[in-house]
Amino acid sequence: MALDREAQGLGTGPADATQMPADQPSNRPSILVTHESSDVAEPIVVPNTLWTSTDPMAYGGGRPTDITHLREFEVAGGGQRDDARWTGPLELIPTKADYVLDLIRANSLWPLLSGLACCAIEMMSAATSKNDMDRWGMFPFRASPRQADVLIVAGTLTTKMAAPLLRLWEQMPEPKWCVAMGDCTTSGGRYKRSYSTVEGIDRIMPVDVYVPGCPPRPEGLIYGMMKLQQLIKDRRGHWNERAVGPTVPEGV
Amino acid sequence: MTATSSRPSADDPRITLDQELGIFEPVPPYPPRTEREAEFYTLGDGQMFINMGPQHPSTHGVLRLVLKLEGEQVVDLDPVVGYLHRGVEKLCENADYHHTISQVDPLEYISALFNEWAPVMAYEKLLDVEVPRRAEYIRVLSAELNRIASHALFMGWMALDLGGLTPILWSFIERDEIVEMLGALTGQRMLFNYFRIGGVNGDLNHDFMSRLGDWMTRATDQIEANLTLLNTNEIFVRRMRGLGTIDGQTALQMCWTGPNLRATGLPFDIRRAHPFSVYQELDFDIPTRIEGDCLARYLLRLDEIKQSLRIIDQCLHRMPDGPIMAKLPRLIRPRPGRAYAAVESPRGQYAAYAISDGTDQPFRLRIHDPSFIHLQSVGQLVQGQLIADTMAVMASLDPVMGGVDK
Repeated sequence: MALDREAQGLGTGPADATQMPADQPSNRPSILVTHESSDVAEPIVVPNTLWTSTDPMAYGGGRPTDITHLREFEVAGGGQRDDARWTGPLELIPTKADYVLDLIRANSLWPLLSGLACCAIEMMSAATSKNDMDRWGMFPFRASPRQADVLIVAGTLTTKMAAPLLRLWEQMPEPKWCVAMGDCTTSGGRYKRSYSTVEGIDRIMPVDVYVPGCPPRPEGLIYGMMKLQQLIKDRRGHWNERAVGPTVPEGV
Repeated sequence: MTATSSRPSADDPRITLDQELGIFEPVPPYPPRTEREAEFYTLGDGQMFINMGPQHPSTHGVLRLVLKLEGEQVVDLDPVVGYLHRGVEKLCENADYHHTISQVDPLEYISALFNEWAPVMAYEKLLDVEVPRRAEYIRVLSAELNRIASHALFMGWMALDLGGLTPILWSFIERDEIVEMLGALTGQRMLFNYFRIGGVNGDLNHDFMSRLGDWMTRATDQIEANLTLLNTNEIFVRRMRGLGTIDGQTALQMCWTGPNLRATGLPFDIRRAHPFSVYQELDFDIPTRIEGDCLARYLLRLDEIKQSLRIIDQCLHRMPDGPIMAKLPRLIRPRPGRAYAAVESPRGQYAAYAISDGTDQPFRLRIHDPSFIHLQSVGQLVQGQLIADTMAVMASLDPVMGGVDK
């Protein structure tokens, strides 16, 4: 079964738990792996318990969706939100269109050029001549969050920079993904004990891929981005459920 | 600790969201605290504020510049720093002497070896220990390689800030080769953590030497090829010439050091003025230029690359045999006292001032960073210039935000 799915380019399915570290006590693999094709009448809802948007109306206000028909959707005012989601029928039947579109998205990731500190140099190194990220369709670093769909947080995040970074994340149109590059962004790293740093950006935003290292080599970042591509393909048709959330185990 | 781990950001009391304070407005939400603030944040007729940063592709990091504009001309400028303040100096007070070396590494993250060098020299003065000559030569060799990497990156960024993409692709070839060979020597590509109190961490190895020899045979040609990208570009030269001009007297008053000062005609270099390590035995020139504009600062760094190549060549020929570490106990407790050490980093005078109280942790480690000094002059340099030239002036000063904010 798994082989067949791989041969069709559909990802490895529920058996693939590679996206999460196996040593995490609260590892819930069902969150991260591909869902079976969903019925529109019973949308798959994965509760997001850790991360909340600053816009209370974004992501359905955190409520599980109970809208099953276009009419209800219009009455509920779902199309009025300004979080750059698609409106109209595509909101209701994401599986069909996104199934194709996610393939395109995975192969043309547009990262946001938002270097914070040391890791930004290695991020630039990954984009330039020697390690050419462009070969895997990850190149065009955009200066504007409106044009980007991957936020590579490269470098130490301080408390003063947290609000601007959160604002950048909110300004990026859906669908969007976040890559935490470096130890500082995954856990605080060598500045974990400092009074002015955020101990891991998963405190303030959902993270899809963590790239450890201080700083990671450019090859490490490229591997992380390839993991992100695989993750996008594995979750095809389900991006708008935002099933990822931070994978920080409870009680740490 | 358990309660805070899964807490979303809005609950973190240290993070203030923009809705609460309006912190993205150029004008701060509090009444002016100094005369300068009161003067700057009062708009004249036909003037406006605009924010540049903190997320801006060419501020060399996270820096916010509040520009006061009249039309397209910059009337005044207020740099807002602190977006990368990591509390390094405080962390150093709570780490023992060996651990502080890794804490100060990411300050000026492009030239990490110089970040280690100044504190290590200060500790050696505190301990009154003599570094073996081979270790000193290895330090000079690796640090000059790091200087070339830093200046190569500067060349690429200079062009990138003016809108040219090609030079950065070329300069990263140099930089990647150098950091790969330094990685073979030190084990890390960027934040090397290589210098130790009383020596260096590892001896020269075959991997490093073969990479270095391979690169040295074609380094001059490659760098000359890189120079032709910009030096013969009429648009670049005419744009940079006469931009952000400063004279030597003013630069001295603003405490400028390093290439930025030497571009005004003053041949002040710590390697020559207050020689440290083995620079006294080496033969090299201090290039200067008299114009003091952006083009001079750019060309001067290219001249420094050639001098660094000379120094590396001499280091390789004169490399003495011997130990690479002085004999020191594992746990270091210097006598109470103070020590100051300065090195010539690619950006200027990088200094450390260490105070020991007799324990195994420094009582205080003050880092003097040249980027911060140069950044305070940006407002003077861009007054009356166009808004697009702000980034050109910023780039020519080559500040690194990690060092500015510490």
